Amino acid sequence: MLNNNDTQLEATWLQRLQHNDEQALAAIMRKYYTALYNYAARFTNDEALIKDCIQEVFISLWQRRENATSILSPRYYLLRAVKNKVLKSLHQHNIRTGSMESEDAYDFLQEFSVEKLIIDRQMSEEQATILRKTMAQLSKRQHELIYLKFYQHLDHAQIAGLMNLSRQSVYNLLHEAIQKLRNLYQAEIFNQ
Amino acid sequence: MKDFRLYDIADFVIDEDFIRWVHEQREEDNLFWNTWLQQHPDKHLVIATARRIVSSIQFQQTTIAAPEVEQEISRLLHTISTQQTPAAPRTARVIAFKWWYAAAVLLLSLTGGWYFYFRNTSSRPFAYASMVASKQLIEHTNTSDQPLVLALPDGSRLTLASKSRVSYAHTFGSDDTTRYGASRDVYLLGEAFFEVTKNPNRPFRVFANEIVTKVLGTSFTVRSFEKDTTIQVTVRTGKVSVYAQAATPASAKMSEIILTPNQQLLYERAAQKFQKILLNNPAPIVPASITRTMIYDDAPLDKVFSDLSKAYGISIVFDSEVLKKCTVTADLTNESFYQQLNLICSAIDAQYELIDGQVVIEANGCR
Repeated sequence: MLNNNDTQLEATWLQRLQHNDEQALAAIMRKYYTALYNYAARFTNDEALIKDCIQEVFISLWQRRENATSILSPRYYLLRAVKNKVLKSLHQHNIRTGSMESEDAYDFLQEFSVEKLIIDRQMSEEQATILRKTMAQLSKRQHELIYLKFYQHLDHAQIAGLMNLSRQSVYNLLHEAIQKLRNLYQAEIFNQ
Repeated sequence: MKDFRLYDIADFVIDEDFIRWVHEQREEDNLFWNTWLQQHPDKHLVIATARRIVSSIQFQQTTIAAPEVEQEISRLLHTISTQQTPAAPRTARVIAFKWWYAAAVLLLSLTGGWYFYFRNTSSRPFAYASMVASKQLIEHTNTSDQPLVLALPDGSRLTLASKSRVSYAHTFGSDDTTRYGASRDVYLLGEAFFEVTKNPNRPFRVFANEIVTKVLGTSFTVRSFEKDTTIQVTVRTGKVSVYAQAATPASAKMSEIILTPNQQLLYERAAQKFQKILLNNPAPIVPASITRTMIYDDAPLDKVFSDLSKAYGISIVFDSEVLKKCTVTADLTNESFYQQLNLICSAIDAQYELIDGQVVIEANGCR
């Protein structure tokens, strides 16, 4: 139901890509650049590294263009590829600098923002502070999950694939997070 | 079809259709949800709470400006066009290849960096090197002793002088103006003569060190070598505007200077000053058949000046009230512009001065 036309357009891009059309590759990058950049920015602040990783992902998409039409969701494919590439680069960097953290132990930078809510007068500063605290109580995985759900509009199966979780875990973690927010909104201070 | 009657707050919050309504406020969604609420008035509170939860989930988003994205796209297209590797699955070998590739790029850019560093351009933000750095451009360098004629993708031509180089984006003149911008931009180091195809919707801009020359369709020369103390823009036909590259569009507008045919602009780089002069040897901008018929017998002066002005595209300023009784009898055919001026002035006992790229006539009038 969501964005049927977009899906069709993307299917034609992938077909054109398969037939060596560089402009189709450009169109895909144009559409997803901001989304990919923002997702990658959750893992590192290194802008140059992010840009290089996105470049490499698209170069490898080009190199594998023969199979382009087998990609069902470009967004999911690209998010996954960018995440893997960024984490791998960070991991290699860590090895070089002597840090021995495993590839799975990544940070998901918590850039949950309440400023806009205050500016839009959707809530008072007092309410925003409580909201921020509640969000801070959520785990990194829950943050990533909420981000993928609400900002990248992935479905639960895709989120599960991207985060190496089962679909049930995705649902549970998401539900737990929503429940915390819900309790907040049913508490007294949010119902003035 | 989903049965929203069974939905609890949390179910709404994670429902993608519901999220889309809250995030995007589309007309069709508004219609659907408002109708649904009218049918299920008891759900108002549930919906309101779910909406507040969804809209309170706000992450900091970095917006990547369109030109920045285009730059990355150019970079990508450049890489894949220079990389003639067949599409084949590779694993271990990829890494070795990539290291080699990274080393090669580094070496190139370092060499380039040193080269330009020694030319003392690093401190100049609008130097050719800094303008073209970071951009994926097609570059032509003329290392020969002969002028090099190049055709641009939009049909314009440029004649690149010896020891000069010019660059432009590979998307130059693309019809897709929403993606690549309407203007046709060229970066020049050295000297080139441009013959620009007319297109009022697509300004043609030449970035030459500190100044920008903007045209709609015309021919002109820009000379801007790094070592030169001045930058020169000379107009053959048409009209161009020249301005200094500046931090803000407003200040760029302030410095804008219009150049007409046979005018030359001198930009003194140290003093950052513009000076407009007329060429020493102006060339007619009209077909030779017209300049061949410049024979006058007792013709009114304003008619003669007007013909001359049109023939060279040079404006001639005079007081028509003072000179209204003056007539000219002369054969101006096959004379140079300044010789023609001399002949006219001696006939009416006047002098001319060249001020700000124009001819100004000083005379006492005729009886």
